[in-house]
Amino acid sequence: MVAETHPHEIELFEYAEDELPEARREEIAAHLATCSVCAEQVRQAATGREALRETTLLELPQGRHEEILRNLPEPERSRNEPRGFFSKQLLAGIAALLVVAALAAVLVKTGGNSGMESSAGGAAEATATSGGGGKTENAQAADLFAGGSAEVVAADLQRKGFDASVQQDRVVVHGATKAQVREALADRGPGDVEVVVKNP
Amino acid sequence: MEDPDAPLVERARRGDRWAFEQLVERHQNRLFTLAARTLGSADEAADAVQEAFIRAWLGLPRFRGGSLFSTWLYRIGVNAAHDQRLKRRAEPLDEVREPADPQDSFHVSELSSALQNALNQLDEDYRVAVVLYDVLGCSYTEIAELTEVAEGTVKSRIFRGRSRLAELLGTRTAEE
Repeated sequence: MVAETHPHEIELFEYAEDELPEARREEIAAHLATCSVCAEQVRQAATGREALRETTLLELPQGRHEEILRNLPEPERSRNEPRGFFSKQLLAGIAALLVVAALAAVLVKTGGNSGMESSAGGAAEATATSGGGGKTENAQAADLFAGGSAEVVAADLQRKGFDASVQQDRVVVHGATKAQVREALADRGPGDVEVVVKNP
Repeated sequence: MEDPDAPLVERARRGDRWAFEQLVERHQNRLFTLAARTLGSADEAADAVQEAFIRAWLGLPRFRGGSLFSTWLYRIGVNAAHDQRLKRRAEPLDEVREPADPQDSFHVSELSSALQNALNQLDEDYRVAVVLYDVLGCSYTEIAELTEVAEGTVKSRIFRGRSRLAELLGTRTAEE
């Protein structure tokens, strides 16, 4: 006897996957025993499943893996966001101190002290020259140099979320540690652009 | 469900490239398989994978963890593969993993080739469903979420996709 109502294909799928309650499974099995149309559907689907499950994972070519990593852009999200564990409030305080320090530094430099590195208002600044022997250090050393022009290096650091600017052909970075800046500049290689890190 | 990728995702969301590189390492072959099986071209698939990872990296701030990271990533991968298809240039699948046993090489490559030809003829919705379920082992819930359809529709697509695939394989065998 041929059943009058065919099960829905979702039920046929669930039957094939053994996901039906026992009672319904027996009803479907009884239907399949008498309905060649549904039985053929289930058989075909099982054949397709077996073919698919014989496949293996394909491996991304190694060159592509490296290309992906090489071409990952700097995320927009990092711009103007704090790095590390500094809170926004702390960074706001640091920024205020740096503004005071910068103003004081400008005043000192315009007052005839341009050949000396300065620190004021609790902000420490450290720089180094490429000559090695002429290194001048204050509270925190910052012997960082990077390849490219000062503008390019500053833009690179800004893209990476740093508060960086060009001042007198140097790149000045506020609110970060030397280690963070060094890490960010690692992919630029050596160069002549002096990078000064100011970190209260 | 706890996401095994969660610790790395959290670090990557903060801009940690190393953490994201671990996620790339972890998911690249599954994403490549998904793209290759749905596109039928290794080169296009690799392009889609690269595009997907770039989109994921840039889009991480918008990922709120409401789903598994892998589900979110595969959805990006499906979309990237779809975009690749729009600018398609016909190429055969030419890069497959070598089988562990060299003696099986001939059979495996033949099976892969015949299966790929059949997959290429499936409707895109069916192809994506069967690859996600039968090849990658995703759950109905994951597939429903990443293809934005009901679970019943997912089951229906898998069932129809498998059946059609068997028809195509049978036809091909008969022709040969």
